[in-house]
Amino acid sequence: MKIMKKCVSRLRMVWVVLCVMLSSLMVSAQDLPGDPANGRKLFNAQCAACHKLDRRLVGPAMAGITERRSQEWLIRWIRNNAELRASGDKDAIAVYEEYNRSAMPAFPLLSDQDILDILAYTIVGDQPASPAGDGPVTTQAPAKPERGLNVWVLAGLSLFLLILLMILVKVKNTLKVIKGEEPTSVLEDFSKGVQVAVKNQKLIVLLTVVVSVFLLKELYWGLMSIGVEQGYMPEQPIAFSHKIHAGENGIDCKYCHYGAEKGKHSNIPSAALCMNCHKYIQEGPKYGTAEIDKIYAAVGFDRETQSYIEGYEEKPVKWVRVHNLPDLSYFNHAQHVNVAGLECQTCHGPVEEMEVLYQYSELTMGWCINCHRETEVNIENGYYKDLHDKLKAKYKSDKITAEMIGGLECGKCHY
Amino acid sequence: MASNKKYWKSEEELYNPALTEQLAAAEFPADSESLFTASELLLQSTQTSRRDFLKYLGFSTAAATLAACEAPVIESIPYVTAPDKLVPGVAAYFASLYDDGNDYAAILVKTREGRPIKFEPNKEAGVNSGTNARVQAAVLNLYDSTRLKSPLKDGNEISWDQFDKEIVEGIKKAAETGKIFALVTPTINSPAARSIIEKYRSNYNNFTHVEIDAFPTTRSLDAWEMATGVRKFPFYQLDKADVIVSFGCDFINGIHGQAVESDYATRRVPGPDMSKHIQIEANMTLTGANADKRIKLRASENTAALLSLYNALARKMGVPTGKNVSTSIDADINKIAELLASRKGKSLVLNGYDNKEAEQIAIAINMLLENFGSTISLTKRNNLRAGDDRKFAQLVDNMEKGLVGLVVFAGVNPAYNKVSSERLEKALAKVPVTVCFSDKLHETSRICQYVGALSHVCESWGDGSPSTGVVHFMQPTIHNIYNTRQWQQCLLNWLGIDGSYYHYIRSLYAGNDFNELLHDGVYKTDETTSISLVQTPEVLVNVQVPKTSSAIELIVYQKVSLGTGELANNPWLQEMPDPITRASWDNYVTMSRADAEKLGIINRNVSNGALNGSYVSLSVGDRKIDKVPVLIQPGQAEGTIGLAVGYGREGMGRVADGIGVNAHILAGNAHVLTGVEVNKVDGEHEFACVQLHHTMMGRTIVKEVSLEDFINRPAQDNGRGWNEKPKFETYRGPLDSKETSLWDEFDHETGHFWNMSVDLNLCTGCGACVIACHAENNVPVVGKKEVRVSRDMHWLRIDRYYSSDMTEEIAEEQGLSGVKKFALMEIPSDNPQVVFQPVMCQHCNHAPCETVCPVAATTHSSEGLNHMTYNRCIGTRYCANNCPYKVRRFNWFLYNENPEQFEINYAMNDDLGKMVLNPDVTLRSRGVMEKCSFCIQRIQLGKLQAKKEGRKVKDGEIQTACMSACSTGAITFGDVNDPESRIATLKNEERMYHLLEEVGTNPSVFYQVKVRNLV
Repeated sequence: MKIMKKCVSRLRMVWVVLCVMLSSLMVSAQDLPGDPANGRKLFNAQCAACHKLDRRLVGPAMAGITERRSQEWLIRWIRNNAELRASGDKDAIAVYEEYNRSAMPAFPLLSDQDILDILAYTIVGDQPASPAGDGPVTTQAPAKPERGLNVWVLAGLSLFLLILLMILVKVKNTLKVIKGEEPTSVLEDFSKGVQVAVKNQKLIVLLTVVVSVFLLKELYWGLMSIGVEQGYMPEQPIAFSHKIHAGENGIDCKYCHYGAEKGKHSNIPSAALCMNCHKYIQEGPKYGTAEIDKIYAAVGFDRETQSYIEGYEEKPVKWVRVHNLPDLSYFNHAQHVNVAGLECQTCHGPVEEMEVLYQYSELTMGWCINCHRETEVNIENGYYKDLHDKLKAKYKSDKITAEMIGGLECGKCHY
Repeated sequence: MASNKKYWKSEEELYNPALTEQLAAAEFPADSESLFTASELLLQSTQTSRRDFLKYLGFSTAAATLAACEAPVIESIPYVTAPDKLVPGVAAYFASLYDDGNDYAAILVKTREGRPIKFEPNKEAGVNSGTNARVQAAVLNLYDSTRLKSPLKDGNEISWDQFDKEIVEGIKKAAETGKIFALVTPTINSPAARSIIEKYRSNYNNFTHVEIDAFPTTRSLDAWEMATGVRKFPFYQLDKADVIVSFGCDFINGIHGQAVESDYATRRVPGPDMSKHIQIEANMTLTGANADKRIKLRASENTAALLSLYNALARKMGVPTGKNVSTSIDADINKIAELLASRKGKSLVLNGYDNKEAEQIAIAINMLLENFGSTISLTKRNNLRAGDDRKFAQLVDNMEKGLVGLVVFAGVNPAYNKVSSERLEKALAKVPVTVCFSDKLHETSRICQYVGALSHVCESWGDGSPSTGVVHFMQPTIHNIYNTRQWQQCLLNWLGIDGSYYHYIRSLYAGNDFNELLHDGVYKTDETTSISLVQTPEVLVNVQVPKTSSAIELIVYQKVSLGTGELANNPWLQEMPDPITRASWDNYVTMSRADAEKLGIINRNVSNGALNGSYVSLSVGDRKIDKVPVLIQPGQAEGTIGLAVGYGREGMGRVADGIGVNAHILAGNAHVLTGVEVNKVDGEHEFACVQLHHTMMGRTIVKEVSLEDFINRPAQDNGRGWNEKPKFETYRGPLDSKETSLWDEFDHETGHFWNMSVDLNLCTGCGACVIACHAENNVPVVGKKEVRVSRDMHWLRIDRYYSSDMTEEIAEEQGLSGVKKFALMEIPSDNPQVVFQPVMCQHCNHAPCETVCPVAATTHSSEGLNHMTYNRCIGTRYCANNCPYKVRRFNWFLYNENPEQFEINYAMNDDLGKMVLNPDVTLRSRGVMEKCSFCIQRIQLGKLQAKKEGRKVKDGEIQTACMSACSTGAITFGDVNDPESRIATLKNEERMYHLLEEVGTNPSVFYQVKVRNLV
């Protein structure tokens, strides 16, 4: 009990201190003639690529900057730091030297009020997020057929039938009693029925056929599904979310998978390509720094100094391949993406909604062939000039599918 | 009454019943199971019972089924920092240069994901821009895991720093003591390397540089040095020669380094401009096999024959003749003289033997014929041969005397091909510091103290000048796989010059855009040289002619596959059938039939068809080869035998070691050795020969016509033309095979229709295409034992046919019976005419294979290709049995990922070796059929490129591997539906014919009739 009390009193102390600090902050924020809300917007738009409030990025951490520098100096620096340096300002030159002479751009379009708003934001910081807003991203299970509903409907139906049966039995027995016969139990009726059924050879034959057809069908589908990895969703070394990248941020698939237009493979991007953005975006919404640190570990980027480590032995990321075609079939992304102009989603599914990537399509030969049968060829391509007229005449149809130009021939994919 | 008549199946049964009985008894050979299993011994020694077998079978089926349910986790590892412009799955090509001291070629290196996987000729590089079989194969040697992995000292690994330091000390000590500092290299054609060596020459008074060529031309070069003042061969221009008379010069095989094949081919196109080629030689060489007329002549008579030709010409022109000589071929010589005299300034006489006198007379004849300035350039020289074996012999003498302080062997192997390794070892023992740069612990490097592990061409920088005015560049296309270096780098280090060899080369070409030079791979300078002939023909022909003797003479030669043996550990080359003998995995004595009969030597086919041959022993003085097999060679001059160099290796690697015998043991560094004692020894050798028939037996598999008939007579003339189409008698009268077909026609009007033309007149049989196909299509190597039982896997073979003295006409005249006639037809002439015919899948449009496949694994495409779907094939082999061209190959075993059984096939069974595989072509598994696909991966790629750019496919854009490797342009591939294409023109040529047209397969491959210039 004593310990409990102690804890409570400690907590209370902390609470008081926090309140005091917060109120003092509020006060100082109110002191400044700036609007932290507008400041936040401006900060995210103009500054966040190089600055964070709480830690160093390309430039220094911004929290508490107003305590370190005077307001006038800050306005001059932000507006045009090169000019300030040129004027011989010692502080300005020192900052420039400290940060490896990486020049900060000038912001001539920011008004004094804008700059004050930003400074106000650096004092207030981010307000605690409302629980309703930025909740953790829910993991979405792969799109599997919804079975839950069917099961409940079936259960309800069988219960209904059971009650119906019981009512019927009651009615039958009542009728029997009325007729003056002995009522029989359900079990007796059932065993009698079974006896009749067993003696009926035709029924037995029918049953056997039905059961064996069912078993064969199950066996066939069981065997056919061997090697079909639809829905395969392996755990990846980095919890990379296509939903965030391709979905929320709308990054084009081919920005990372640039090989898809050029050649056979849609390449997995190199870690250096991730760094194009993640040099600046150093924290994720779900895992914080943990996952992004894995990229840094691959390329040798030091979070502390915000620079690449010299002579670092690069450690490649071992991704787990999701779409595995056997060696015996040749698939070329360029043919489909570049020439046919297919959307990535046609085969890969709604990747922009996938938190964890999974295999959307069957990737079986039947699946390929089906598409080749149905898909029309883009006859605007100069390669098909003259050819499509001949094909139209040959097939007496305006619709030229991949099949008609030999898209079903074995050797097109197997060599 | 029943008849008691007895019918004989053959004459043999009547006259030699014992043999027939023996053959009948062996109808099913006792070791029949060995036909199907890898090793009979292995099978016999196994403990597995039938029950065990069934248990294993059950277990493995269940296990396989279960295992198949769960897909294995496959990791994909991308670059951390992707190289600029590298797209995974897209090949990048780099211009480079291949030079191993014997072969020199400007190449394009095809790389995939940073791995060099194929060499293509750099056709824009001018001189030496064709690749032969050896250059095509050399890419595999990069991935040879038996290469040296780091520098060695006394067999122990040391660091390069230590290596450099100790050798620099050695150089200092040699300079202090005044002992010789010797550098032994192949002929240096590289301007950069030469300038480094010049620096050594000026820095060290005791420095000496010795150049040696693996296949020597020392004495021939002496003649040129005398005649022109420079120790180099001239630059031959075969495209300007109407008549080529070659005395034993195997120029198609690149004996002088200069690649003359393409120039030669430009004048072999049938027509009034076609050149005439006469070859006078002892061994049947590749060049001789291509000649219009080939005359057999012993090597010892060569000089006399040349002099005789000179005299005949001199008499005609009224200039003084040389000494009077008479030879056995004077009648032919006179005819040749007549011909040459009529083509003054447009002819060329070549000598191939390493013989100063013969070369001198050849020069004199060319002077007499005014060939200098036309067929022999007066402004260009060939820089590829300058070796002087006598200088090396002198160096060995000096070593033995203890006068040498330091010797460096760079890229040479004298213990194998110059002096006996025992002698060199003793001599080297007296040299304080011995260094050898090599990629293997071979004959020379194993007896040297320091061994510098040499980088492959694909890992090296360099430049090279094959002839005046042209420089090619070598650039690395992969980082050093092992801790290796190129010797030029070490020479720079030892001089104390900072920086890499790359920077050194770059500084030599300052003022040019070096990246552009590297991109093109060639730098054409306006440098010229002027060759002045300082001696008159009269002086040149004033030579001693050796007396002829009847002793047997040995002529060593380079096989087309192995050359001088630099790439001996290359299974592609070892398995490549020799174009002439068609034997692989061996060297052997070639001998004429007459000599073989005298010695009681036989070649016979055993029950499964494979070839066996007797052994002989060879000796000259105290030098002896105990046991070497004999292959009876039609066309070999009587009294001569041939033996190829490059075999009998030690320390070259698991593929090369122990195969064949080392010809240098007998011959040292000479070409010709007289007085060889040949004795039959016991035993029979098992050859791996891929062609069992020598002749066409009267059929028209290869059609041939004389130039005269070609020009003057029609191709089709009611059965009397030179390219008649077979006709079939029908109720509608005689019709050709197309009109009598029972098949439905495919639509070949819409889209592409890929066809291939093979010009039998341009094909020299060099086999570059065979190796190119290996590399491009991941064709497995199966080893000698499997080749022997006709399980070689080459998708493309080059059939060789000899002419026979017996023809249908002669048989009719003599009234010979059918059996007798065919028996005689089977025997090639003593000096036969030779034809080569590349045969690949003919892509029949009425394909016999397609109809018999029970699972439709081989099907026809809308583009005229015969597809083979490996994953659908169940291995019935019906297709192969029904193929009239015998081009289908069956995977009897698992050739990849099976190192226990096929270790020699390291391109598929070794982690490093596998790097050479073409990732666009599937590796075939056991039990499936495979065959030429017309390089469908290249067709698809070419089409994709066109589609991406939204245009039609350009003619010549899509080339099959064989077409691109062919230096003479014998193979042409393209779309006949493109009326502008070359292939469409070729299809309408009157020389065009289909192979076995009478079977009605309507192939997509067609041939062009061979024309022989017999005028």
